[in-house]
Amino acid sequence: MRARRSRQSQGWLFIGPALLFVAVFVLVPLGQLVITSLTDRSLLGGGRFVGFENYLRIWRDASFWRALAFTAKYTIILTPILMGLGYALALLTLDNTPLKRLTRTIVFLPVIIGLSSSSLLWFWLLDEQVGLFNKLLVDLHLLKEPIVWFVTADLAFWAVVISITWKVVGFGMVLFVSGIQSINPDIIEAAIMDGASYWSRARRVILPLTRRILLLTTLVSAIGSMLAFDQFYIMTSGAPRGQTFTAVYWIYQNSFVSFKLGYGSALSVVLTLIILVFSALQIALTMRSEAT
Amino acid sequence: MIYPRRKSMTIRTTCAALAAFLIGSTALATNAFADNLTMWVRASGTNAAAHLVDLWNSNHSDKIELTTIPDTQMVTKLATGVQAKEVPDLVSFDLIYMPDFMRAGFLEDLTAELKADPNFASVAKAYIDIATYQGKLYGAGFTPDVSILVWNKDLFKQAGLDPDKPPRTIGEIHEDAKKIRALGPDVYGFYFSGACPGCNIFTTSPMMVAAGSKILPANGNDDALTGDGVKQVLETFKEMWSEGLIPKNAQADSGANFSSIFKSGKIGIQGTGGFLLAEIKHDVPNMNFGVTFLPGVKEGQVSSFVGGDVVAIPKGSKHLAIAKAFIAWELTDEAQLEGLAKNNILPSRPALADNKYFAADPRVVVTAKAIGVGYVPWVYHFADMVNSDSSPWINMLQRAIFDGDVDGAITEARQKMKDIASE
Repeated sequence: MRARRSRQSQGWLFIGPALLFVAVFVLVPLGQLVITSLTDRSLLGGGRFVGFENYLRIWRDASFWRALAFTAKYTIILTPILMGLGYALALLTLDNTPLKRLTRTIVFLPVIIGLSSSSLLWFWLLDEQVGLFNKLLVDLHLLKEPIVWFVTADLAFWAVVISITWKVVGFGMVLFVSGIQSINPDIIEAAIMDGASYWSRARRVILPLTRRILLLTTLVSAIGSMLAFDQFYIMTSGAPRGQTFTAVYWIYQNSFVSFKLGYGSALSVVLTLIILVFSALQIALTMRSEAT
Repeated sequence: MIYPRRKSMTIRTTCAALAAFLIGSTALATNAFADNLTMWVRASGTNAAAHLVDLWNSNHSDKIELTTIPDTQMVTKLATGVQAKEVPDLVSFDLIYMPDFMRAGFLEDLTAELKADPNFASVAKAYIDIATYQGKLYGAGFTPDVSILVWNKDLFKQAGLDPDKPPRTIGEIHEDAKKIRALGPDVYGFYFSGACPGCNIFTTSPMMVAAGSKILPANGNDDALTGDGVKQVLETFKEMWSEGLIPKNAQADSGANFSSIFKSGKIGIQGTGGFLLAEIKHDVPNMNFGVTFLPGVKEGQVSSFVGGDVVAIPKGSKHLAIAKAFIAWELTDEAQLEGLAKNNILPSRPALADNKYFAADPRVVVTAKAIGVGYVPWVYHFADMVNSDSSPWINMLQRAIFDGDVDGAITEARQKMKDIASE
């Protein structure tokens, strides 16, 4: 009994710094966020307690719901692209031959660039007059004349999707490669002995055995997309007419452009809850499918 | 299970090393900047501010270190800085935020010093007005800028227009733009940054004001977008857009091409700021262009938007006395002429417009005079009404010019601006 207690206290000691870190840098700000969300505090100072007024206002804020719907669309379209492409690249570059290793490095390189830098890079690559991307498409006869990418919400959306795919796809690929490589080679060999083709091995052996890493990566990627901000801030500025505002961008607009810190905090709380619910749902669904 | 002792040692060592590093780097940072004043300046004012600060540093023992803050982050940085008591000693920011900052109590009261300063009496009225709140003064004009109209004389000549006769009405802009557009597929008559709210309050709103309109409401009971000027300007822009006189990328330009495109030599006429003069002289010294006032609907109607930066001292400045000395210094003839005019930047004392540096270039004199015909709105919530990416101002421009619904756009914007002003 005594030994168990001492081991327990030793355990607490070990996780103590991490707990302290989480408390100071996550829980305290989160608590402050919730408190601020109940006030009409301005970025310029002041503010009084207003109860749930901010939350009632969110309910009537059509712009927020439109931004949230746009963010959901972005997440729903981008996540499968990133996961599918990442997984395909992982399968293609699985073996540790020099060429495949080089390919992996090249695909992974954009991941280490800052998101703002890569967004700025793509902003100019996609420019109508000096952008190389348009020139490439015109030279390849895929376009008749250069297009202005950020002129409509749909085009701007795809411009961002292209840039983010380039930027992030290597991250999923690397995780998938490590996941696939950790599969016991005996299992793959057994499948080969049983006459399984490459496709049935990939579909029936490799895919099920990497389901956990797939879930984790999907979750991280989806949450990242739900919190998208930099790429839209730099590439679209929410234009045209606020149609490419994401949820976080709308929070930024309210908090830092309109100075409504209280309302911005309430929006943040709502977004956090929405992401929490969806993450829980996603985990629960996958766990259930694993159980059956 | 027994936990290996080595691991906990490693953790302890790492923690200690990390702590030592943090303490060390903080100490280093404090020591390195202890004797210097810090000054924040928004990105678009950096070039001008650097000339003044360099001049100050060259003959003062107290040095000022300039930090550039992206334009869109200045309000946030200063607001959070004041509340966290992490402020620079001086700050140079877009004058339009003065009312909000003064009301919020972010700035040091400079009334006594400025009123006693003989140089301050000759500062442009617009800068004094915008820095006054409840009878007290909180800042001074620093690196002024003002909106003007530029035209490319070479393109005018090629199009058979008189290169020395700029358009004097918005209608003439339209007519001249048509002729210039006919010069070739990549030459355009006119340009404006169609998705940039700030660029357009600077260059498009003065055309409306010149035609007798008022743009922004001072409070909820005040009217917004009054008069016919707003509609007439929007109608003309709409026509120029639908006739293809404006490049297609204007619709999506959130300001990135605002200053670069005219320098390409492919644009006939554009509303811009005085800052472009120095840029053109530096980047394309052979460009043949002219400067005139932004016109209204009828001949003789002119206006401009008086902008640029004001300098102020944030509450919490650690070098108050030196910061005040700097503000007094920047209003002297030496700073205004050797720091600003010498570098093609307008002085904030209009009386100094006629100086040896400007005499060589009448375009700079025109620009300096534009301050005299200009306006600056003293309103709260300017960001909400104008500068935000979803502001009623930019929505109105886009809906009117690119969708063609001028009346609907004005009605909608009028209501939204009033709603914001009532907050």
